[in-house]
Amino acid sequence: MALSKLWVIAWRDLARNRRRSFFSLLAVGLGLALLILLNGYITGVVEDALQISIQLETSHLQLRAASYEDEKVSLQWKDLLENPEALAAEAAAIDEVEVAAPVLWASGVLNTRDDSVGLQMYGIDTTSALYAPFQETMVAGEFLTPDDRSGILIGKRLADSLGIKAGDNVNLVVVNADGEADESVFAVRGLFSTGIFKYDDAAALMPLSKAQAFTGADGRASAIAMLLHNQDDADTVAARFQNPDVATLTWEDLNAIFLQTMDTAMSFYIIMYFIVILIVAVIIANTLLMSVYERFREMGIMAALGMKGRQIMLMFLFEATLLGLAGIVVGIALGSLGVYYIATTGIPIGDMGSAAGDIPIGSTLYGKFNPSGMVWLSFWTLLITLLASLYPAWFASRLQPVEALHSS
Amino acid sequence: MSVIQLENITKTYKIGEVETRAANNVSLSIEEGEFTALVGPSGSGKTTILQLMGCLDKPNSGVVKINGQDVTQFNSNKRADLRRKEIGFIFQFFALIPVLSAYENVELPLLLNGVPARERKERVMDLLSAVGLADRAKHRPDQMSGGEQQRVAIARALASEPAMVLADEPTANLDTANGQQAMDIMQRLNEETGTAFIFATHDPRVMSHAQRVVQMRDGQLVDDGNHDATILGAAR
Repeated sequence: MALSKLWVIAWRDLARNRRRSFFSLLAVGLGLALLILLNGYITGVVEDALQISIQLETSHLQLRAASYEDEKVSLQWKDLLENPEALAAEAAAIDEVEVAAPVLWASGVLNTRDDSVGLQMYGIDTTSALYAPFQETMVAGEFLTPDDRSGILIGKRLADSLGIKAGDNVNLVVVNADGEADESVFAVRGLFSTGIFKYDDAAALMPLSKAQAFTGADGRASAIAMLLHNQDDADTVAARFQNPDVATLTWEDLNAIFLQTMDTAMSFYIIMYFIVILIVAVIIANTLLMSVYERFREMGIMAALGMKGRQIMLMFLFEATLLGLAGIVVGIALGSLGVYYIATTGIPIGDMGSAAGDIPIGSTLYGKFNPSGMVWLSFWTLLITLLASLYPAWFASRLQPVEALHSS
Repeated sequence: MSVIQLENITKTYKIGEVETRAANNVSLSIEEGEFTALVGPSGSGKTTILQLMGCLDKPNSGVVKINGQDVTQFNSNKRADLRRKEIGFIFQFFALIPVLSAYENVELPLLLNGVPARERKERVMDLLSAVGLADRAKHRPDQMSGGEQQRVAIARALASEPAMVLADEPTANLDTANGQQAMDIMQRLNEETGTAFIFATHDPRVMSHAQRVVQMRDGQLVDDGNHDATILGAAR
């Protein structure tokens, strides 16, 4: 039999029960829209957090002394890189590298007259484009100059919580390279507000040369940080540094905990996905089963005319396909609208991001369009719709003509 | 040659704990081109016999032969093939597919039989003209009267040029004029095409058209003859 006629019957049967068909395709549409929205939200948050972490913290690739341990924030000379400027210049000369600069990290305590707070100190090359994200988010005072010997930058939130402002003096204490506490008075040159609590609450930036002098690192650096033109080149560039004393860490190594956390979050998302899709499946199965029940006699007539079980089954699968496809169109439209909203306006979460610990999250979360995700979700929705229709279709195909003809 | 032969057919139905013998050792043969009425009161087994003849159901015992071939043990696919090619159905309720137009309803058996488009169109229009509904081709069942729907069903039953048409109470839901018209059309098409028609009915108007009247009671054949004798017999 010409398949086109089965499509025609399927289409007209859906049109016959417009209201039911509409609500069924709406169920598919809303389910898919919810999935697209969830997917867009998670994609946005994960990618944003990762890019923020790369831009503000880890960069794409780091060179460190092989013995350097992250947790200790060691300032011992054996754990630091000798002659970092030369190494940074060597890195910057590589084509794939956009920018490279040395950085010195130290743990410190910032004291005011009334309060003290632990923070991470960053000795930075103030001229490097690596620190553009801080420079661009200055909200008070000025950015550092390379020869500033007594200035630091801190986050506005930290300044507000301590009741200090740009121009005030603060006391900073570090445990230096010799393991002894050292302190100095610094002027707060300016305040930045990256929007990321981890930095705005607990970071202090100072010029590299001052940091080296203050901590007794004597011209050494904790790492050479590099941004690449393309983050996928991290492994290729890392392979260029074949020095047993130097460890190379890509953005994937440096964000391993974050990526792992996101993987865990993703499995939660997949559970949500299955719940939504299961609801859609039940609605579709119910719709088609009702349709079968209502059309017992028609099935009987078709069987009497010589239509085979598989043709009757195919007719119901066509109905499910039409419902699924129409639902997908609605779902993509509604889902895209939702993603557009969260991608442009964002979802304000207030201070909740400060509870995210090492995960750099701001006070507003943004979604992102994920076209490949949409295609996959649409594909799965169609597949599940078809699977859900298998039982009603099979049920219809198994009807005995005599029983079907005698149903009212 | 017989288009259909029933040999010692028995069919029982079980409804709950109660077993009903709807056909009891029935033997019957229908010849090519016959116009036969199967008559009897409600529950006499007429519909059961039609269903067994139409391969819609299987007997508990006995043999069903169509065109000389034993089809009793055919599986559901083979029975569907047989219905598609050899048997046309007309039901008491106007059994059209509601979402298809008159044209498409008549076309459906031809599509199932893989008839080429041009031939299909010609045949559908011929049949619709034969039942006087060429101008209603595009109408859906809900846009037609009961009489018109039943005429479309007659056209559909004859679409694939079957060996026989089985009609279960074809006039039961029609008024006198429409019932008469339907019977006249069937009789004319029977004469023109040579297709055997078998009716289950207790409508005297239908019986009066029949060349042969088979009387049933309690699942058994009680009389088989020309209609005058049988009707008189039934009346006694």
